[in-house]
Amino acid sequence: MIEASSLTKRYGERAAVQDVSFTCTPGTVTGFLGPNGAGKSTTLKMLCGLAHPTSGRSTVLGRSYAEIPNPGRHVGVLIDASAAHEGRRGRETLAITAELLGVADTRVDEMLRLVDLDASAARKRVSQYSLGMRQRLGIANALLGDPQLLILDEPANGLDPVGMRWMRGLLRDFAARGGTVLLSSHLLHEVEAIADRVVIIAGGRIVAQGTSTELGAGAGGLEQLFFQLTDAHDRTLEEVSR
Amino acid sequence: MSALAYRIPADERQPSFSRLTRIELRKMLDTRSGLWASIAVAAISLITVIITAFVKGGQDATLTQLFNNSIQPVAILLPVLGVLLVSSEWSQRTTLTTFTLIPHRGRVLFAKVAAALLLTLAAFAICLVASVLIGELFPAPGGTGALSIVLLAQGLVFLGATMLIGVAFGAAIMVSAPAIVIYLALPTAWDALSSVLAPLKTLSKWLAIGPTLGPLGTRSFSASDWGHAGTTVALWLVLPLIVGVWRFARRDVN
Repeated sequence: MIEASSLTKRYGERAAVQDVSFTCTPGTVTGFLGPNGAGKSTTLKMLCGLAHPTSGRSTVLGRSYAEIPNPGRHVGVLIDASAAHEGRRGRETLAITAELLGVADTRVDEMLRLVDLDASAARKRVSQYSLGMRQRLGIANALLGDPQLLILDEPANGLDPVGMRWMRGLLRDFAARGGTVLLSSHLLHEVEAIADRVVIIAGGRIVAQGTSTELGAGAGGLEQLFFQLTDAHDRTLEEVSR
Repeated sequence: MSALAYRIPADERQPSFSRLTRIELRKMLDTRSGLWASIAVAAISLITVIITAFVKGGQDATLTQLFNNSIQPVAILLPVLGVLLVSSEWSQRTTLTTFTLIPHRGRVLFAKVAAALLLTLAAFAICLVASVLIGELFPAPGGTGALSIVLLAQGLVFLGATMLIGVAFGAAIMVSAPAIVIYLALPTAWDALSSVLAPLKTLSKWLAIGPTLGPLGTRSFSASDWGHAGTTVALWLVLPLIVGVWRFARRDVN
């Protein structure tokens, strides 16, 4: 369960995120959709305590994120797959998280198998990883603590079509077992293919939210709606700046 | 996992401070850069001790001299490790993972301070063992003499203080390269300035790292020596550490 209520983040005069509220429920995948720079990452960072909201609040599993004693055991987070130490080996990167969470070291090898990183990849330093491999390592890192909830920022970036299908299966399966997934993306089709619910953000504000079927019910489906909403927002911006 | 019934256990504990410290040490040594920086510290201590034993016919190879010569270069390199311990998380952006797993950032920073002090102890032990070993194998012609407990303790304080100055710089500046450059260049710039500006010369006695802390390895400190060392530590350690703690806790992670 994730609840965001009126999250707002200002940098000086500019509001990067304004009055963002939504709920993610167990057993569902929520797609957080919006163009680049719409405020997706900033919102996700506020959910897990990496950025401090100017106002508003959020809870994860009923608590504010920072109040969870060992958050990695309940919430799997992947904000940026490229943010791993270049000089550290893949397996070691996971082993550190495992030690911190207090899970068995054998869990590291299970997760490596799950995300399809073989023994030779596990021995390599992260600097030798492709973006797709880093994405897999990041997913493995998020899943180490056997969490109930996943928060993933653009997890499909850098994955090839086979990898994207794998990721879809993994996340659908996670939700089918009762887990909660929130994933952001700027790719409409990816969100359409995986999410039960869609939250659309543009210019820092939520412009629509609902189930994929509800939102896609109008003429032209979800795609039409998405472009309408984001274009409308861009036009308003232009008018304001004039 | 049963969706509706899921609760965070009421008795869940946060990872212990000793576990956090152990992980910080592991993170320092499990990357290529960290490992080599640590090896360099150990190597420089050995090399200076060996050189001391063989130059000038080995007449400087008294225990006191060997030990002092070994800690002086270590006191220059240790702070670089200290800087890296804090700043590399921001440079490599691993703070994204670290802070999602440990939201109380103050605990992370203090685990780093603890790890830095343990590394200091290790470096101190290496300097001591190297000095004693080389002193035994290649004694000075006039005898190796004894090593006073006072000088040993002062040597440890010297290494610990310089290490923590590095940690404080790393925490306050947060970017590895500038933090290291500023740490290494400031004392030199200070010396250069104070040779031109007379008032600075007087201040140096109270604030320059080299002149106030360096002699910790060579002579037993008087009250006024400790006063000078104390003001230096307040300026270069406490002040940047306060700035660092504040920035470390507040800064949004990108």
